[in-house]
Amino acid sequence: MTGAELLIDLLAKHGVKEVFGYPGGAIMPIYDALYGAPVKHYLTRHEQGAGFAAVGYARSTGKLGVCFATSGPGATNLITSLADAMMDSVPLLAITGQVPTAAIGSDAFQEVDVLGMSLSCTKHSYMVERAEDLAEILQEAMHLAMSGRPGPVLVDIPKDIQLAQVTYQPWLAADDYKPEFCQAQLAIANELLQSASKPLAYVGGGVQAADAQNELMDFLNKTQMPVVSTLKALGSVLPEYDYDLGMLGMHGGKAANLAVQDCDLLVCIGARFDDRVTGNLAKFAANAKVIHLDIDAAEVGKRKPVDASLVADLKDSLTELTTPLTQSDWRAHCDKMNADFAWRYDYPGELVYAPYLLNKLSQLMPTTGVVCCDVGQHQMWVAQHMKFSHPSNHLSSGGAGTMGFGLPAAIGAQIARPQDFVVTVSGDGSIMMNIQELATIRRNNLPVKILVIDNQRLGMVRQWQQLFFDGRYSETNLSDNPDFVALAAVFGIPGETITRADQVDSAVEKMVASNGPYILHACIDDKENVWPLVPPGAANDQMLTEVAK
Amino acid sequence: MRHQVNIQVNNKSVAVERFLRVTRHRGFELVNMSLASADTHYRVNLELESDRPLYLLTQQLTKLVEVDTVEVVSTQQRNASA
Repeated sequence: MTGAELLIDLLAKHGVKEVFGYPGGAIMPIYDALYGAPVKHYLTRHEQGAGFAAVGYARSTGKLGVCFATSGPGATNLITSLADAMMDSVPLLAITGQVPTAAIGSDAFQEVDVLGMSLSCTKHSYMVERAEDLAEILQEAMHLAMSGRPGPVLVDIPKDIQLAQVTYQPWLAADDYKPEFCQAQLAIANELLQSASKPLAYVGGGVQAADAQNELMDFLNKTQMPVVSTLKALGSVLPEYDYDLGMLGMHGGKAANLAVQDCDLLVCIGARFDDRVTGNLAKFAANAKVIHLDIDAAEVGKRKPVDASLVADLKDSLTELTTPLTQSDWRAHCDKMNADFAWRYDYPGELVYAPYLLNKLSQLMPTTGVVCCDVGQHQMWVAQHMKFSHPSNHLSSGGAGTMGFGLPAAIGAQIARPQDFVVTVSGDGSIMMNIQELATIRRNNLPVKILVIDNQRLGMVRQWQQLFFDGRYSETNLSDNPDFVALAAVFGIPGETITRADQVDSAVEKMVASNGPYILHACIDDKENVWPLVPPGAANDQMLTEVAK
Repeated sequence: MRHQVNIQVNNKSVAVERFLRVTRHRGFELVNMSLASADTHYRVNLELESDRPLYLLTQQLTKLVEVDTVEVVSTQQRNASA
């Protein structure tokens, strides 16, 4: 068989049923091998769309996402999705075609040093130099993407190696490294748990990566410990848990941020003390001891010193922690904060109020549904006002914060989970970043729902300009937006525009009940802001809740 | 602080680019470097300067697939006499 045929064969052997990509000159042998193959290829309309569809596929299932692109611009267009997958620890295999081996280094047509470009945005990357190495490299790449802390792996395959005759050689990981935590650290951690008066669990994306929701809930149910979540962790804590304080950080809820500042023990479970989470790091949980559970040793002590660390798979470490019942006065205090600072939806006025709309969508859509986001104000409103029963049901670009993520990610999620309701929530800025993927929805008749929250602005940047740049609104006015419903209609997607609060309920009902793809275009007040907001450099208990008078 | 670190990596040229990129990105300035090829590996001696704790770099280097070992040889105050 050829190298190209080997690739498709290996993907099939590893259970990869769907891939996303875009053909071109240097990857044509692989596309030829795809013709009639058991692996189904979904053509996106831009390589970045393929990359994000693969990310959406992976994040909504926990499986490996796979994307293809040709050399040169095809590969450079994938780079943003690789960076996104790197920041959010998403298992991704990117295959890029490369010019023939003999032409490498000659500035050949569509030649770019993809291996060099990949160094900063992949977990690992290869360029195949010898046909006899191809089988091993591909199998190792798939293993690396999924093992330990997951991440994107790129394999750049020159065209002559795609065409060369190769043989399949099974490969097994030489040492399936599984970190085991230090027993002395475990003893310290358990001592800290026993002596804490005000413990707080701080949960991150590692829970999904480790498939450890059950272990987390078991720990929480036994300890009744109050818990806060990062953006990526939303859904890890089941909505019915009594002491869930929601998201912390720059746009976190008051209860979550105040609890962190007040706690005396912070149990960090698969999170990384991201700057958007901590605000002023020196003032973050300043009076708390810290236990850090993570599979990646490099995260321990990276930003905040710890008192005990368990470097291991969360499935193994969480179950080793003792589970003393959290003191009732601390639980009651957190419970009261939850009640005192509960979100309110009694917004005065006749305009559409985005938090109300999103909360209504959350109530009306199936609990098994997937919500994808773009990046900006709408993304924070989704995090604040929608409920999720599993992190695979909330796909939001966390670390990279990539506008244009939502629509292709929703395509990947819908293909991965064809029976589930999938909606992408976007802003009028973000939706235009990968709008060409409406064609992918039409081509495959995917029932993806699209909610565009339109303030005719780059809303989050506008909000910062208002608060921190003296109202100098540089390049954030989008009042010349296209008619989004008319634009979707060109791609055969029906929908409607709403502008008033009294239209929200019926419009959301109609979108949720629609069988095929649908767009709901909701116009909101251009001055609406996301609150609370922790200003840059401030501690998390210094939240702004309105524009200073 | 000035640090001396020895690492052993697969002798693939991209491996050198990879650990140098990580070293720069994590805030460590390369002062001196020697590289010797031995069978399937490069033995590399790095002399680095940074105000950041060295473990922030060594933990990242250890994660690189092509890096086999990372050994901290010495750490001393900058400008201290050798």
